[in-house]
Amino acid sequence: MFATSIAALRSLRARRSSLTSHLFLSSFPPPAAMTTANGTKSPSTSQPLLPQAAQSLVDSVDAFLFDCDGVIWKGDKLIEGVPHALQALRSLGKKLVFVTNNSTKSRKQYARKFTSLGLDVSEEEIFSSSFAAAMFLKLRNFPREKKVYVIGEEGILEELKQAGFSCLGGPEDGKKKVELKTNFWFEHDKSVGAVVVGLDQYINYYKLQYATLCICENPGCLFIATNRDAVGHMTDLQEWPGAGCMVAAVCGSTQKEPIVVGKPSTFLMDFLLERFQIDTARMCMVGDRLDTDILFGKNAGCKTLLVLSGVTSMLDLQDPSNEIHPDYYASSVSDIVDLSNSHTKGQ
Amino acid sequence: MLMTRGVSDAFLAVSASASSRSPAPPALATGRRLFSSLLPPSSSLSSSNRHFGPRRRLGRWSSTMAARAAAQRLENVDELIDSVETFLFDCDGVIWKGDKLIDGVPGTLDMLRSKGKRLVFVTNNSTKSRKQYGKKFETLGLSVTEEEIFASSFAAAAYLRSIDFPKDKKVYVIGEDGILKELELAGYQYLGGPEDGAKKIELKPGFLMEHDHNVGAVVVGFDRYFNYYKVQYGTLCIRENPGCIFIATNRDAVTHLTDAQEWAGGGSMVGAICGSTQREPLVVGKPSTFMMDYLANKFGILKSQICMVGDRLDTDILFGQNGGCKTLLVLSGVTSLQMLQSPSNSIQPDFYTNKISDLVTLKAAAV
Repeated sequence: MFATSIAALRSLRARRSSLTSHLFLSSFPPPAAMTTANGTKSPSTSQPLLPQAAQSLVDSVDAFLFDCDGVIWKGDKLIEGVPHALQALRSLGKKLVFVTNNSTKSRKQYARKFTSLGLDVSEEEIFSSSFAAAMFLKLRNFPREKKVYVIGEEGILEELKQAGFSCLGGPEDGKKKVELKTNFWFEHDKSVGAVVVGLDQYINYYKLQYATLCICENPGCLFIATNRDAVGHMTDLQEWPGAGCMVAAVCGSTQKEPIVVGKPSTFLMDFLLERFQIDTARMCMVGDRLDTDILFGKNAGCKTLLVLSGVTSMLDLQDPSNEIHPDYYASSVSDIVDLSNSHTKGQ
Repeated sequence: MLMTRGVSDAFLAVSASASSRSPAPPALATGRRLFSSLLPPSSSLSSSNRHFGPRRRLGRWSSTMAARAAAQRLENVDELIDSVETFLFDCDGVIWKGDKLIDGVPGTLDMLRSKGKRLVFVTNNSTKSRKQYGKKFETLGLSVTEEEIFASSFAAAAYLRSIDFPKDKKVYVIGEDGILKELELAGYQYLGGPEDGAKKIELKPGFLMEHDHNVGAVVVGFDRYFNYYKVQYGTLCIRENPGCIFIATNRDAVTHLTDAQEWAGGGSMVGAICGSTQREPLVVGKPSTFMMDYLANKFGILKSQICMVGDRLDTDILFGQNGGCKTLLVLSGVTSLQMLQSPSNSIQPDFYTNKISDLVTLKAAAV
């Protein structure tokens, strides 16, 4: 499906620096963005999304990029006001894109989740970090005879298979145990050329050891992280450890750092640009995490809106140690439309 | 022996060297914050402790420390033995690999004892208690008493005692039996451990994982029964129980848990909790000098009279250097000569040799 897109992307990339350095550079927080010429930090520029600002935001943006966990839903429960807000934005002709770091589902599986929640969102509008991992390998011409070891769930496996790669690991390895006995030898497949690590609720020692052996002993083996979110709203009632946990576990045993394909890396942005042909300055990234969603938006040159319906509170935003400042903040997605409407009515 | 406040100040020794190290590499793709709010409120430790954090490639730790001369191959054994009163030995990769003794170890220990040297065994492996290690030494035919063994499992319990951790608070353990036994011996109530390895979670609407609000410390070490339940439990305690301490027994990346190969070590489990909590732990095992100060105090020995013998540069050798001891790297474990001599490595022990039995064979050859 993406055959022509891949060709277009390759030519796009040819005009940039090498793939790895692009990812590497784009993964860092924006340098000196908040530091003035004489080295002092400039004050926070985050503003609450008031009616006029909401109207002006809606007018100046052609595409809204939404994170999912904590923005659209929490676990399997929709956040209040979301369906109405999305509908309103669509009717204004805005493009809606969903960019999620949650790698447990593939784009196809996410489309099904949207449908089951009564939201009309197509697969082409969804960009998950599971998809990002598969595309990264594809763009890099990862050899088909090599295998990919996965610490993660079905989403990653499905996207890799769809892209034509052979996988090992995944949820099945969650049942495997190790025996630390004399003369016991833990085998691993020497043809594994990449290890992809994402959120994995079936994480166990077997998988950690398998991945460690691949990364440390298979020459040139890539270590790819779908994302590094510390926690996320995997259920509606509380936060749960995110992929950041599994990735850090593998960093701990390999003493290597991964290539991160999900937010805040702007890797996925290339796909969005190729698909929607919209200037990033006319996009707004809406998310609940400062160090992934908002950083992603800022790195890519988009407007940024933090919603407080997820993992970040006002306290977190205003904490003196926080250096990531979204353009705006609001309590939830529905504010974009409600506040903008109230401004229109008020005029 | 109840430790004084001074021992917990042992972290200063590490922080002094840690703060002079080059800063940790930029958190790739995250804006992770390194908290240092882990220190006990009554401690006088400085905030420079916050850099005692994640370990990266060998050498990053000490890249800005005073440059040391390159390690010398051990030749003059007599000189080393005569200049030292106590030998500290790591275990995995030095004394044994898994359950198999490394060649020549019994003879070496006997020789050193016959020369009146004190022998102490300092291991980061928290899976056993001191008592359990005593039994392991015995089954391998080595005569070593419990008092001569300092495991990171013991260190965790000793640390809690040193800060007067309240007996009515609980400790959540992501780790194995060794930690549980030492906590029990020290009189602390614990939750978690191997049993929680069988617990599963269901990420369903309406599901809420409860956690005990009375947990005042989470201790993380090597755990072959590691799972998502434990990660969430530990994360909830650290994030939501006010003042909850996050303690790591050690952060070894890999270790010889069996004789045949290396295995992902405690650094993996600790890394996982750092990843979900975005906090750094207090590390009680090597290279932190907590155990060094404890045993120096206990035995009344001068650190300059100690030689640390180990197979890992960034734990054993750094431990010895941080403590002001002589250091001897053995190549019978996780470190190869190539790794020692690699340009990216800046941790240089005083000496290196193939294995500890060289202390006997090189000596004999010199005669």
